[in-house]
Amino acid sequence: MITVLETIYSTAKLQMKEAVTRPTFRFCLLIQPIIYSLITYKMFINSGHDNFVAYTVLGTGILTLWSCICFSSAGDIERERYMGTLQVIYNTPTNFKVIILGKILGNTMLGLLPFFISFAFVRLFLGGDMYIKDPMAFGISMIITIASFMGISMLFAAVFTLSRSSRILMNCIEYPVFILCGILFPIEILPKWTIPLSYILSPTWAVKLLRLSVEGLEGNDIFCKYFGILTTITIIYFILSNILFKIIDNKTRIKATLGVV
Amino acid sequence: MKDSVICVENLYRDYETTKGWLNKKKVIVKALAGISFEVKKGEIFGLLGPNGAGKTTTIKILSTLLAPTSGESRVLGYKTFGEENMIRQHINFIFGGELGVYRRLSGRDNLVYFSNLYKIRKNIRDKRIDELLELVGLSEKGDLKVETYSKGMIQRLQIARGLINDPEIIYLDEPTIGLDPIGARELRDIIKELSLRRKTILLTTHYMHEADELCDRIAIINKGKIVALDTPVNLKKQNRITSVLEINVLGIYDKELEEIKKIEGVETVAVKKNDQWQLILIQFKNTHNITQNVLNVLKNNTVISVNERGALLEDAYVRLVGGSI
Repeated sequence: MITVLETIYSTAKLQMKEAVTRPTFRFCLLIQPIIYSLITYKMFINSGHDNFVAYTVLGTGILTLWSCICFSSAGDIERERYMGTLQVIYNTPTNFKVIILGKILGNTMLGLLPFFISFAFVRLFLGGDMYIKDPMAFGISMIITIASFMGISMLFAAVFTLSRSSRILMNCIEYPVFILCGILFPIEILPKWTIPLSYILSPTWAVKLLRLSVEGLEGNDIFCKYFGILTTITIIYFILSNILFKIIDNKTRIKATLGVV
Repeated sequence: MKDSVICVENLYRDYETTKGWLNKKKVIVKALAGISFEVKKGEIFGLLGPNGAGKTTTIKILSTLLAPTSGESRVLGYKTFGEENMIRQHINFIFGGELGVYRRLSGRDNLVYFSNLYKIRKNIRDKRIDELLELVGLSEKGDLKVETYSKGMIQRLQIARGLINDPEIIYLDEPTIGLDPIGARELRDIIKELSLRRKTILLTTHYMHEADELCDRIAIINKGKIVALDTPVNLKKQNRITSVLEINVLGIYDKELEEIKKIEGVETVAVKKNDQWQLILIQFKNTHNITQNVLNVLKNNTVISVNERGALLEDAYVRLVGGSI
């Protein structure tokens, strides 16, 4: 019998195979990081920070990872709906959540590539260099960041399965998150009413955690605090998505939103 | 019925939609208005009806993709809404057209992926995929990307996908739509082969000769209701006292059709529109001779041909559903 892990693996593999054949996805994955790297490099070059390249690479990586995840949760569901495969995969004995998780995993794995592209581009063409003061903390931060992005993606995927307007929803959420989560500049300079929104979005804490580990920890307190918050939010995302998937399982079949017509 | 694998009782399905832009109004569209039928194990059961009659809605409910508004639908004894996990392993569906497969992957990759979703073990999977590719004539093209396939090849891949879990019940929604005559013939042969293997098949089609050739029983559905349910032979028998006059004309007005309907002995009048001419199908009691009366009505039209014949399944369908084909 095929296990859940095998299904997740085969879905992720199929997702990656399919995704790289799409020109838009290839652009997001290979060209967009170079453009973002150039922009963020120019933004940070006069910041007076000696490790500004790390900010460039992290900023670019997170921006592109977010875009890939938006693709995974919204674009793919929309595409599957129009290809007629959404109802086919939905109707198999495999839990729909497991299939979506596999798809998101595939896109997330591809979405990590821009970190390396950005670093290589900045290093080779702009001559910049970066350091990570606490590689261990950085590794842990990266793992929880990926898990968290997958959690939020599951949440979106559930909503997008129910809605036929997923592309509009995707476009609505992609850029505000760049601003709200402090990916390029601190959220403290945003209007106060936006701060609660920033705090409930996991990329905000992921950015803080990654930057902290790049800069080096002076004590473990702040790192643990951010890590705790990010872990809690991630768990909440997964719980919420689990509840939502149970609800949509009935709703999609009542509202007939699995197919195009 | 004792050995029924599909039981539908008083099934209703409404779709909710909105009308207007600024002043949105909720509109309820009735797709099914209380249908009931049963399908026996190993039977090929046909659902015939015009567009929007409720055929696809019925198949979607039975394949657990759609919830009924009210009434009951059971497959293999389980409710299609609420007990779907008990059903999905044993059913599969094939919708006509080029949808339902990943076009940027190869045919084989598609089948491997779907078998994983059906939790089929690798040793069974690989053997079955080879057999299915052979069955649908795609053995040599299995490793090519689906986007390079012709429409007929995609349709055949759909058949292979629909059989990947060796289902007990197969739903086929207009499976031969858009296929060339040879492709359609091959597909009908596959359906017959599946029936010999005791698979239960629920089929919708617009092609009467296909339903006549394949189905053990046929339900004719119109405006969400079943208007007839019988074997093709019995459906045709209902029309045994009827003959059909086929007239090809260049241009016909509603006024003239109304006049034809008033001729004594005429039961139904339907028009099949072609590019340049129209085929008028007039069903009439064969105790009457209406040909001259009809030609009198059409005296100002260009009549290309006139032919009288006995009733077919298509005529029974027209009689029950009425209007244009």
